[in-house]
Amino acid sequence: MTRKLIIKNNIRRLRFFANEMTQLELSEKAGISRQTVVALEAGKYTPSLEMAFRIADAFGVSLEQVFERVTEENGSRQ
Amino acid sequence: MSYISKRNIASMVAGIALIVAYIIYATDANAPAAENLRAWAAAILVFIVIGIGIQILVQIMFHIALAIGIAVKKELKEGCKQGDESVERIIKSEMVEDERIKIIELKASRAGYWFMGLGVAAAFMVIASGAETVAALHVLFGMSALASVAEGVAGIIYHERGVK
Repeated sequence: MTRKLIIKNNIRRLRFFANEMTQLELSEKAGISRQTVVALEAGKYTPSLEMAFRIADAFGVSLEQVFERVTEENGSRQ
Repeated sequence: MSYISKRNIASMVAGIALIVAYIIYATDANAPAAENLRAWAAAILVFIVIGIGIQILVQIMFHIALAIGIAVKKELKEGCKQGDESVERIIKSEMVEDERIKIIELKASRAGYWFMGLGVAAAFMVIASGAETVAALHVLFGMSALASVAEGVAGIIYHERGVK
């Protein structure tokens, strides 16, 4: 049985709690483009491990606090 | 629409302009004779150089227009003056080439390679079908120009749809 792995992120929420950090500020801190921040928040891109760590570092939190995995099996999420 | 998508559109417009210019040249009464392959090859080389020049010019003009556009938009929205630090920050951030942009460029270039490959195959088919050899040159040049347009279209699709 194959499991579909979906990686979700809490970037939007973390930005809000980081004194309403703007997408521009996050992109500068993480060294990525603002468009990539937009794509990440919209779930249109799953970053590499390096970029994921950079984003976590920008917020000063652990990787697990930024990204979480959701496994989908037979249409039901776990 | 993202900066990269707009840049791709500018690049595609330059590619289409080159195809149109070549068609005008090829169908002109003063165009070299079909048997004069040397003249046609030289003409295509000139068009390739012109194409590179147009691409560079379009990109420079696009970047200037983008910077002005962002500054004007910001000024209208927040009352910032041109040359303001925030405007420079936005422009700088838009131009960062991170891994996502590199992946999109790689995937988009695959579409271009497909068109180039098809162009080479089509050129051979044209010769095999008994048409004039110059027709194969036209097909090769046309498909290489179309390849750059296809690359632009693929880039826009990947940017707007996203890559996983």
